[in-house]
Amino acid sequence: MSFWRQLIRGIRVLGNRRTADQEIADEVSHYMEESESALIAEGLSPEEARRAARLELGSATAIREQVRGYGWENTMGGILADLKFAFRTLRRSPLFTLIAVLSLALGIGANTAIFSLTDQLLLRLLPVKDPDSLVMLSQRGSNMGGSDGERANSYPLYQDYQRRAEPFAEVFCQKVSEGVALTLDGQTELVTAEMVSGNYFSALGVKPALGRVFNSREDDQLYKGHPVVALSYDYWITRFAGDRNVVGKKVLVNSYPMTIVGVSAPGFSGVDPARSPKIRVPIQMLPIVNPGWEPTISFRRLRWLRVFARLKPGYTVESAQASLQVLFTQIRQYEATLPEAKGWPARERERFLKATVVVEKAATGYSQLRNSFSTALIVLMCMVGVVLLIACANVASLLIARAVARQREIAVRLSVGASQSQLIRQLLVESLVLAMAGGLLGILLAVWITKGLLSLLPTGNAVLMLSAAPNGRILLFNIALSLLTGLIFGIAPAFRSTRLDLWGTLKDAAGSVAGTSGAVRFRKVLVTAQVALSFLLLFGAGLFVKSLQNLRDTDSGFTNIEHLVSFRVDPRLNGYNLQRVKRFHQELLENISLLPGVQSAGYARAAVLTGGAWGDGMLVEGHVAKEGENTDAMINFVSPGYFRTMGVPLLEGRDFDERDSRGTKPVCIVNRTFAEHYFPGRRAIGWHVGSEILRGGKIDMEIVGVAQNALYNGPREGSRRQVFFAEPQEGYLSGQTFYVRTNLDTNQMFGAIRQAVKKLDPQVAASEVRTLDSQLDQRLLTERLIAMMSAGFGALATLLASIGLYGVMAFVVVRRTKEIGVRLALGALRGSVVWLVMKEVLLLLAFGLAVGIPAALALGRYISAQLYGVQENDPWVAGIAVILLSLIAAMAGLVPARRASRIDPLHALRYE
Amino acid sequence: MDETNTDVIQGTLDMLILKTLSLEPMHGFGVTRRIEQISRGVFKVNPGSLLTAFQRLERAGWLDSEWRQTDNSRRAKYYSLTRAGRKQLELETADWNRRASAVARLLKVEG
Repeated sequence: MSFWRQLIRGIRVLGNRRTADQEIADEVSHYMEESESALIAEGLSPEEARRAARLELGSATAIREQVRGYGWENTMGGILADLKFAFRTLRRSPLFTLIAVLSLALGIGANTAIFSLTDQLLLRLLPVKDPDSLVMLSQRGSNMGGSDGERANSYPLYQDYQRRAEPFAEVFCQKVSEGVALTLDGQTELVTAEMVSGNYFSALGVKPALGRVFNSREDDQLYKGHPVVALSYDYWITRFAGDRNVVGKKVLVNSYPMTIVGVSAPGFSGVDPARSPKIRVPIQMLPIVNPGWEPTISFRRLRWLRVFARLKPGYTVESAQASLQVLFTQIRQYEATLPEAKGWPARERERFLKATVVVEKAATGYSQLRNSFSTALIVLMCMVGVVLLIACANVASLLIARAVARQREIAVRLSVGASQSQLIRQLLVESLVLAMAGGLLGILLAVWITKGLLSLLPTGNAVLMLSAAPNGRILLFNIALSLLTGLIFGIAPAFRSTRLDLWGTLKDAAGSVAGTSGAVRFRKVLVTAQVALSFLLLFGAGLFVKSLQNLRDTDSGFTNIEHLVSFRVDPRLNGYNLQRVKRFHQELLENISLLPGVQSAGYARAAVLTGGAWGDGMLVEGHVAKEGENTDAMINFVSPGYFRTMGVPLLEGRDFDERDSRGTKPVCIVNRTFAEHYFPGRRAIGWHVGSEILRGGKIDMEIVGVAQNALYNGPREGSRRQVFFAEPQEGYLSGQTFYVRTNLDTNQMFGAIRQAVKKLDPQVAASEVRTLDSQLDQRLLTERLIAMMSAGFGALATLLASIGLYGVMAFVVVRRTKEIGVRLALGALRGSVVWLVMKEVLLLLAFGLAVGIPAALALGRYISAQLYGVQENDPWVAGIAVILLSLIAAMAGLVPARRASRIDPLHALRYE
Repeated sequence: MDETNTDVIQGTLDMLILKTLSLEPMHGFGVTRRIEQISRGVFKVNPGSLLTAFQRLERAGWLDSEWRQTDNSRRAKYYSLTRAGRKQLELETADWNRRASAVARLLKVEG
């Protein structure tokens, strides 16, 4: 049957019901008349003919209805009528509607918000050609060298893959560099740049929007030989206002002249869905983009590149991994014969050769932000799901209470011939209207919550690609969730309330006896579930808050970090050479030390409490490493005055000073853990140490001091063995993070610092200016996010559950008014009446906890990885959650209990 | 909405309506009278079913309808067969013949 004809006719009928009805009526009456006149022609009198026609054909109305009932639009028309009716009844009870819609909006809104972040970070595929065949390559196991970031590879390894890896149609690589100085018409700004291999764009299938993008032939041939820039579409629009003359324009990248050759396609943000670089340059320009990285491109022991590949048809991730492992082992065998491998102990060599290659799906790209937040998002997703369930239970409970009040209406409608299915449909439509209204309000809430969450995320210099604006997918999720919610809370009440004992209900004058005990029991079950779920959330929130507290309270080893200001400068980006960089840092340190309010200052190459850290295997004079002994230590490079500024006491020896400059005998300071490990019960001063990579295996650095332990990457990682090199002795081109201890207001200090940097060179900018205290907060962002959100959701859940509890108890009290009146009339004390009600409240609470506590203990192990310094079954946290929940539940129960005790027996007995 | 002609009575009714209208356009009662006459009273047509069938057939695109003056100058809705309706009639007739002869054969075997 033609779908379109059905649709069009149906719509025409719906749009003009009256005309359509009139036509049917005309046709039926014409039919009746014809049939009468036929009978008259057979010889009957007009009267008899009419009667005979009626007898034979039935009533005209019945025929009209039969004909009228044909077509899809009539089912629709029924639902429209249901909708109208639902709106009318909901408007009649505004308080019920308000509470229901608000609870649903909170539940659905929280879900939509968390989902919109989850979707953007975890679920969305990259907007590139055939994302499903993209994979990411990395390694597991020993590397005998350094790594910059997770899942990194060396450049020579990438080249080996590109030449020899059988399973891939294309192998390409990229590396994001956060701060690159881009100078345009005399103005300099820090932008995020992505270094990419020549085949990056073609492998991803990304076309230019303007000019050209890179290709292997033109842009990946010569080391340092391709000074070209491709702009991202968004940057082209925002910075260049979409100017088409931008192609061919000259710019300076870290003071090196380059030419803009084109703009990449709109919508393409790169392989990291969370962050988008503004410009892209060929990977061969590495030493320009990252000054000081001169030797790394050919160095096999430093991993710094992300390598992606496109699977050839017929290969799966598993078969590609198996095939690549053979090649990888061959490469490792070759690498073990190179000069840098000469000094490796046999055991290390063996571990090195046993390392494995990892091939992972990369259809959604790769994002560091995603890695650190995905667990948090999944935990939060579960939490908001539970909140929504509690909200559903509330609305279901309210609906049942309403259905009890509407029993007589429903009974009357059933007895005049409405079918049960019609009534259920009508009640479900009402639930869905509530749910959709909640969902609509929920979208607004979601945008608001998402904005709040995003404002907490650190953005660095990169454009954060996450947005709070709802898109089609989010709206779809929201609508689907609302419909599902409406069904979840609507179905049980709808079925319950239409299964009535008609006689009992209609006979009973008060209209509130039949069926109600079942309704109360059902509502009590719902409240028990709410209590159990609330306990889950409160307990979880308690654990997260306690973890955060533990992390914050960890002794950092630094003193008074609220008054410690840090900032970063990187004059490399302005084309400074090694000598000028060193002089700049030295002069800046002197100038800042002279600022009013500055007690001391120092700098370090690696910023502390940021999650990043250098590490190297250590060699210690007189120490023979045992089989499998871990010789790694964390390394930092610091200036004289660093320890004093950080408030880290030196336990032995001296700080670095002007004696330790470039070319003098290398010295270092170790921390207490290091000294105690290698020199237990002895003085560490005067011994010599070396490191595998940074010092090339030579044991030539003298220990001149031992410092108290302090944190490095963050509180979760703790303070492990640390070795501090004297930065002034190093010949490595690098930016520095300065630390300034002040007794002034820190905000005032920020301004003074920016001023001091500007005075030295207006082109150099101080970035990441903040106190170490806020740096610690930043570092604990994930934990803080989980703790804050879970506490919020826990509170919300408890609120919703107590509303549910209150609702049921208030209902119970109303139902038992007569009974309580009789008790009071017979001399029961007011207090005993309160207890009568509270006993039920406590029983509900006890049942809820009896379910909730074991469930919480069983689920705890899923979050144990997120916890710090607290067991997933911590009895104190559980105790506090129980007390909190009990108090709130008791308060919710006390209101109806007191009302019950104030019942006037005379009034109650006259009731009905 | 999805009436498939599995029900024998209904299937037959549709086919009978199409057959009747294939001779000339007619109004509802005319179709009834024609069916009753030709079947010599074997088939009684229920007006509700008939008028609903008209709606269905019209939506399927097999019938057209228009309001016209009758011979005794009253307004009536006349139905006529469309080209698709003619094709459908052929299909249904062939199908009916096939079934009828199959049933006839079965009955012969039984007897």
